[in-house]
Amino acid sequence: MRTVMHLLRWVTVGLLLAFTLIPLIFMLTTSLKSPIEIRVSGSLLPSEGIFLVNWERAFRNVPLPRYLWNSLFVGIMSTTMTLLVAVPASYAIVRFRAGGRLLPSWILGTYVAPPIVISVPVFMLMRSVGLVDQPLGLALLHMVANLPVATWMLMDFVRSLPLEVEEAAQMDGASHWGVLLRIVIPLILPGLVATAIICLILSWNEFLFALILTYSLRSQTFPIGISEFQGEHGLQFGEISAAALTGIVPVYVLAMFFQRYLIHGLTRGSVK
Amino acid sequence: MIGPAVLTLIVFSLYPLIYSIALSATDSQLARPFREFIAFKNYTNAARDALFGNSLVLTFVYAFGVTAIETVIGFGLALLLNRESGPTRFARTLGLLPFITPPVAIAAIWRLIYDPSSGMLNHYLVRAGILEQNVAFLGVPGLAMASVMLVDIWQWTPFVFLLSLAVLAGLPHEPYEAAAVDGANGWQQFIHLTLPLCLPGVLVIAILRLIGAMKVFDLVFMLTFGGPGSSTQVASFYIYKTAFQQFKTGYASAMTIIVIVILSVLVALLTALYRRAQAKYGP
Repeated sequence: MRTVMHLLRWVTVGLLLAFTLIPLIFMLTTSLKSPIEIRVSGSLLPSEGIFLVNWERAFRNVPLPRYLWNSLFVGIMSTTMTLLVAVPASYAIVRFRAGGRLLPSWILGTYVAPPIVISVPVFMLMRSVGLVDQPLGLALLHMVANLPVATWMLMDFVRSLPLEVEEAAQMDGASHWGVLLRIVIPLILPGLVATAIICLILSWNEFLFALILTYSLRSQTFPIGISEFQGEHGLQFGEISAAALTGIVPVYVLAMFFQRYLIHGLTRGSVK
Repeated sequence: MIGPAVLTLIVFSLYPLIYSIALSATDSQLARPFREFIAFKNYTNAARDALFGNSLVLTFVYAFGVTAIETVIGFGLALLLNRESGPTRFARTLGLLPFITPPVAIAAIWRLIYDPSSGMLNHYLVRAGILEQNVAFLGVPGLAMASVMLVDIWQWTPFVFLLSLAVLAGLPHEPYEAAAVDGANGWQQFIHLTLPLCLPGVLVIAILRLIGAMKVFDLVFMLTFGGPGSSTQVASFYIYKTAFQQFKTGYASAMTIIVIVILSVLVALLTALYRRAQAKYGP
């Protein structure tokens, strides 16, 4: 019975592995097939040898590095803003019940609304302050979109801290900000890192706000770059695969590097 | 300390809501907002708009469909792999990948997998004799919807699996020890302990997925652009087309307000459901 269960587990993991990895492997092999083979055969592995022509064309036809740079810039800017807003708010909500019951439920409630519902007013607002097609404008919206996720995670990390340390510091005359900066933040640092990584990835992947708010290479991000491929050059699947992989690899490297923080942060924040 | 958060909420949540309500009572274009006050005309139009009704139905079919499938499979996998062993550690690392993959990139590759002439799915299904000839997975109403949903399932089932593992890891030991003393077998423990104890946690995961799936936009944009016909035109996508391609922002705002009301009711119901589960089975 034991061995049967063990076997069953490995078989399940095998199937799961196949279902999860085959699309990703297919993306890699497609990017390495010859353009002719892509058009006539849907086999998983290339049969006519390996070609780099799709990669060359992807980088020649579309300014990929520019899209990736914009994504990184917007991601870092929005993640910084998200943390600047969410860290003090989470601390004040958990420790001083700042904003009563309204503030936490309002912040978390914004997560329920699909981004499309604020897109028209936000577009008009951004246009009137000259932030359309600007990285800062998109970063602001990503901050808004990620605020509920960040607050939810951070509130949980603050809640898990023992009160005694903070109380001792307050006895010694530290202000609320002093306690936050010198005691709370160092103690929740792993959680802070997890939150930052998740915000960075969410911003990197975000599509709708980028679609509405960016028009040119000045601010268009990687997801917009991929969607441009489909329009302008027909369906060049080899090039699209190469371009898509270029944007996926940084996320996977980041995730593997911070894997522990990520799983810890995700599972703590959401299931309690 | 809460100043920046309150300011953010006022500018990006309260103001858009008020603006949308005001805009929805007018005949507005993207370039010329607030052209003419028309009271509830946009709302009566929305109520009669078959495409809008269709988009709401499709959104519900999509969201409830993928949530049900992802929850059952994800939680099932977690039950099967709920112990520290090689397969579990492996699956946990692997499970992180799909939902952090940019949806646009994923949709691009699935488009090739589904391609009617040179797609991988057709290639292998025809070879295996399951299909007689190539099928346009994204070109047939109904099938197109199922195909988009499958990509969502690829992307989010591992998420449910990872969070379900955390729910299982948080279960208390005492009830199981008591049950073992009383002579309950594994199956009885599963039915009378594991399932009820997990219910509140799994419900939270399902609600998270449902809310996420209600927002679906990028997969539809990349895979089908709402088609064929309007068979995958979910609410987000229909509102996007109305506002940013037909520039009818007044009408789009009215639909937006209707969607917000529907979602609020839905979330209130789900919260009540969660509270009941928590009161009955929670710690």
